Amino acid sequence: MKAKQKETVSTSGNIMGRGTRIFLYVTLTIAALAVILPLLWLLLASLKTRQDLTRNTWGLPQTWEFKNYYLAWTGSRIPRYMINSIRATFLSIVLTVVLSTPVSFVVSRFRFKGNNLLYLFFIAGMMIPIHSTVIPIYTMVGDLNMKNNLEVLSLIYGAYRIPVSIFILEGFMSGIPRELEECAVIDGATVWDIFFRVIAPLSRDGIVTIAILTVLSSWNELLISMLLISNSLLKTLPTGLMGFITDYNSEYTQLAAGIMIAIIPPIIFYMFAQEKIEKGMIAGAVKG
Amino acid sequence: MKVTKNARLTILLFVIPALVIYVWWVIYPIISAIYMSFFQTETLHSSHFAGFSNYLRVFKAALFWKSMRVSLIFILFTTILQVFFGFLFGYLVYLQQPGYRFYKALLFMPTILPSVATGFIWSYIYSPSMGVLKPFMKAIGLGKYYASPIADPKLALYAVIFAQLWAGVGTQIILFNSGFMGIPAEVIESAKMDGATGLKLVQSMIIPLSWDVIKMVIILQTIGALRSFDLVYVMTSGGPNHSTEVMPMHLFVNAFQNFNLGYGNVVAVILFLMAMILTVTMRRLMQRDSLY
Repeated sequence: MKAKQKETVSTSGNIMGRGTRIFLYVTLTIAALAVILPLLWLLLASLKTRQDLTRNTWGLPQTWEFKNYYLAWTGSRIPRYMINSIRATFLSIVLTVVLSTPVSFVVSRFRFKGNNLLYLFFIAGMMIPIHSTVIPIYTMVGDLNMKNNLEVLSLIYGAYRIPVSIFILEGFMSGIPRELEECAVIDGATVWDIFFRVIAPLSRDGIVTIAILTVLSSWNELLISMLLISNSLLKTLPTGLMGFITDYNSEYTQLAAGIMIAIIPPIIFYMFAQEKIEKGMIAGAVKG
Repeated sequence: MKVTKNARLTILLFVIPALVIYVWWVIYPIISAIYMSFFQTETLHSSHFAGFSNYLRVFKAALFWKSMRVSLIFILFTTILQVFFGFLFGYLVYLQQPGYRFYKALLFMPTILPSVATGFIWSYIYSPSMGVLKPFMKAIGLGKYYASPIADPKLALYAVIFAQLWAGVGTQIILFNSGFMGIPAEVIESAKMDGATGLKLVQSMIIPLSWDVIKMVIILQTIGALRSFDLVYVMTSGGPNHSTEVMPMHLFVNAFQNFNLGYGNVVAVILFLMAMILTVTMRRLMQRDSLY
């Protein structure tokens, strides 16, 4: 399958019947409402008083309680969780890129015995569910006394991004014409030069793709961070929110505000990087 | 490029860091899980060889088989629903009627939300006191049938499956959409000249020509669904009465709540084997029998 996007497909409207078009818009609109309504409900709930929420679940707030946001932000550790999440995400991006890019370069551009085996060994990791390794990881981290350590958490996130990142980058790098590096070699370039001056810059899209996929997976990761971080000053957003949900169980409106605060960064990120995220998802599924 | 003598050292430098980290945190743990599944653990630090006794215990445990069943239902339903709706919306967006970009962007959005937030939103939609479901059912005249879906062992799994559909279908929409974009426009054009429109076009052209994409989406969704944990954990933690305890959840409960690491490792190994078998057989299936 070619994952190339074409912007104009000649399925022009003149052939489509009126009935088909009505069906199309009705179906898409129902789906769009199904996406929006739960989020709208959350937004409205976050702006109501408690009594207002119980009496009037659907409607607009009687008074707009922006205070809920203030209380959720100052009364909880959400700002802290957010900083921790940013740190863990940033570190795991750096690790993923620094570790995966050189390997992809080697397996895609050099001919040597065992080259393909090395590539397969790396991408075989895509088959390993993290749930299957979580018990040994938990005991290992405990033995090494590395619990409650955001750097270690990021290291593990980075490690689990290696297989899919190499899978994606290898595809990008294989597509670069051989002549480019041959010329460079004739000009006396070393392997380092070829990597940093030729291949890495030409694979920029691929590198951005693996970085974006790493952002999404690290920002949302729950299981490992839950097991390795117990110190509430070091919790990442998903784990912190779990505690927040328990603590604020009776303060639904502030809870809703807290959840809103947590989903705003991914939504903003999505608004700016929509195309890139979609392309990344496709690249992770299909090579190229 | 050929490997010259000078390049050899550089290549090693390029490969070794990733290799070390990968073997340390991905390969070693999975080998360790397999190895430890043959050991009985007394505490975190003392254990003795136990042969297949952990395996026997797992295979005799009714709750293990229950979790296997729950996982299979979860995989089956999410795959059917997500492939169906993914295909439908992916196709409708592909037709590129005015406004299609808006719909595409919106329908994909839930996939990027943290599952903790998604799980929270849906738990509260279903909840009797604050939720939207109860007033919604009242409004359409079904109020007396309302029962909190995630508190009912018969309904809870389907309630989670529905939330998963909401959160996950965007991925399938994008994959199908990009697959349809890959069909050469001339092929579609000439089919239309021959009078194939609407459903007939889908049936005679779109489905056969994107058969590989359909297979790929099914594979990815099956493997993804086998690994589902977050949403279940947030919404029900496997309850009520283990009715939503998918295999990763079963592993989590046994290893980290009952502290039965030997048992947990056996489930981990079974999960790993299932993931591997699914991946390998499905990749095989994909290479063969194209419809065209």
